[in-house]
Amino acid sequence: MVDIYAVDFNKYRPPKAVVYGRKCPECGTVDYPAPMLCKHCGARRDPSGVEHSSWEKVPLGGKCKLLTWTKLYALPEGFTDRYLLFGIVEFESGLRASARLLVEEPKFGMSLVAEAGLVREKVGKDAYGFLCRKPEKS
Amino acid sequence: MRKVAIVGIGHTVFGNLSKFDLVDIMSYASTNALDDAGIRKERKIIDQVFAANVGACLLNGQTGVASSMASRIDLEPAMAESIENGPASGASALKCGVMAIASGMADVVMVTGGEVMRSVTGWEGTDFVARMLHPEAEYDYGLTLPAFGGMFTRLYMERYGLTEEELAMVAVKDHENGSKNPYAHVPYTCTLEGIHCSPNADIINNVIAEPLRLYGMCPVSDGGASLILCAMDSPKMKYFKNKPPIRVSGIGSATDTHCVHHRKDPLELKAVALSAERAYKMAGLGPQDISFAELHDAFVILELAISEEVGFFKRGKARESVVKGETRIDGKLPINTSGGLKAKGHPIGATGVSQVFELVKQLRGEAEEGRQVKNPKHGLAVNFGGFGNNVVATICSKE
Repeated sequence: MVDIYAVDFNKYRPPKAVVYGRKCPECGTVDYPAPMLCKHCGARRDPSGVEHSSWEKVPLGGKCKLLTWTKLYALPEGFTDRYLLFGIVEFESGLRASARLLVEEPKFGMSLVAEAGLVREKVGKDAYGFLCRKPEKS
Repeated sequence: MRKVAIVGIGHTVFGNLSKFDLVDIMSYASTNALDDAGIRKERKIIDQVFAANVGACLLNGQTGVASSMASRIDLEPAMAESIENGPASGASALKCGVMAIASGMADVVMVTGGEVMRSVTGWEGTDFVARMLHPEAEYDYGLTLPAFGGMFTRLYMERYGLTEEELAMVAVKDHENGSKNPYAHVPYTCTLEGIHCSPNADIINNVIAEPLRLYGMCPVSDGGASLILCAMDSPKMKYFKNKPPIRVSGIGSATDTHCVHHRKDPLELKAVALSAERAYKMAGLGPQDISFAELHDAFVILELAISEEVGFFKRGKARESVVKGETRIDGKLPINTSGGLKAKGHPIGATGVSQVFELVKQLRGEAEEGRQVKNPKHGLAVNFGGFGNNVVATICSKE
C-alpha cells in the first residue's frame, strides 16, 4: 500500500516567482532583459554556458519610482481582466523596466516596491514579471 | 547612385476585407499599379518584386507571399522576396527596391504591401501586434503597442502641457482629410464637439489606453498598396509615358532599443530623427524644403512627436501648429493629407507603401478635390516600426 502521507506534494507547487537580470562578468553591469553583448564593455554571454559564461543571474526588485503609466482596457488574447495598469519604473540602481502596477491612482515619481509575480499564465511555463505596489508604511 | 523614379501606383480600399484572400488583395493593388504605369501588357519588364507583409503566417495561414503574388499576376520569372519589418515593412520593401536599382541588380521593381488582419478576433489581432514587443520584458506582461502609446502620451502631456483637446484636434484634422480619400477605412469627419466636448464624448470616444481614447488611435485594417519603380537611366523608362515620374530623392532608416525602458528619455524617438536625417542627407534637403508629410500616426500623439523629431517643429511645439491649423491641407505644412493611419487605416504591411502612394499622388497633383496640396515639391513619409525601434523615412520629389 502507498502511504499517501509520504508523498511530497510540495514538488507540484509552482516555483517561487523571481525576475532575473544578468550581471556582466567583465564589468559588473546588470541588465534586464538579458542581452547577448554587454552595452558597456561588449563582453559576450552564452545562453548555454558552454563556450562562454552564461552570466550570473541577479534577482531584481525592490524600491523603484514610477516614470509613466497607462490603464489599458483593450487587452490581448489570454487576459480577461476589465483593465490592467502598466508603467515604466526606475529602480534605485538606475535600471528600468516595464511593470504591472497594483495601484489604482498612479502619480509621476510615485515610490513603489516591485516584487516578482505571475504576469501571464502559459501552458507549461508561466511567465513572471514585476508587480509594483505602494510601499508598506513602516 | 542611380536615380530611382516611381512610375506607377496602386491601392485598394482599406477596411474590413477579410472575405478576400491576402494575395488577391496584394495582387489587385499591384495590377492597379501596372495599369497606372501603363505596362499591364509589358509587365514582364519587371525584374524584381518585393512584397511587404507581417502576419500572413499567423493570421492567414500562409507563407511565401512574394512568390505567390508574383505568380498570380504573371510576373514569372521575376525575382521575388517578402519583407517583414513590423509596421515599417512597407517602407523597408521600398528601400529594398531602391537598393536593388541603385546596385544595378534590377531596372524595374514592383513594391507591394498588404495585410489582412480582420480575419481574426480583435483579441487575437491585439495579441498578434503585441508580439513585436520584447517577449519576456514586455509582451508577457500583457503590454501592447497602444499601452506604450498611452504611456508615451501621458509623459508628453506632463512634460509639454499637451491637452486632450489638442490631441482630439489632430484626429478631427485627420478625419477631415480621410473623408475625402476614396481609399480610407474611416472616411468620415468628426467634430471636436462630438469626440471631446459633448456630454456623450466619453461614450463615443471611450478610453482605450489612458489617456489615449478611441479617436486617438488607428483602426485595425485590411488592404494593399503598390508602387512600380524604374531606374531613371534605364532604357526601360520609355515604357512609362503615362504619368510624370516622381523621384525617390532620399530614403533612410534607423533602429532604436527593442525595449522602450532602455531609452534614456522615453520621449526621444531617436530612430525617427536619424532616419529622417539620413533621408534629408541623401536628398540634399532639409525639413524647411518639405511641402507636406505623411507621418505614422498609429496613435495621434505620434503625429506630433514625429513632426518634432524630423525637424518641422521644436520639441513640445507641434501642438501649437495643430491649434493654429498649420498642418491642415491649406496650412503651411499639411500633415497626413491622406487621413493618416488614423482615418485611412493601418493594414500594417501596406502602410509604408500607402504613405508613399499618397506622396506620389500629391506630387502628381492627382489628389481628390479638397485635399490636394498646392504646388508641392517634396513630400516626406515616416513609417514607424514597433514602438519606434525601426523607422524608415522616405522623401519623394517632383522631377
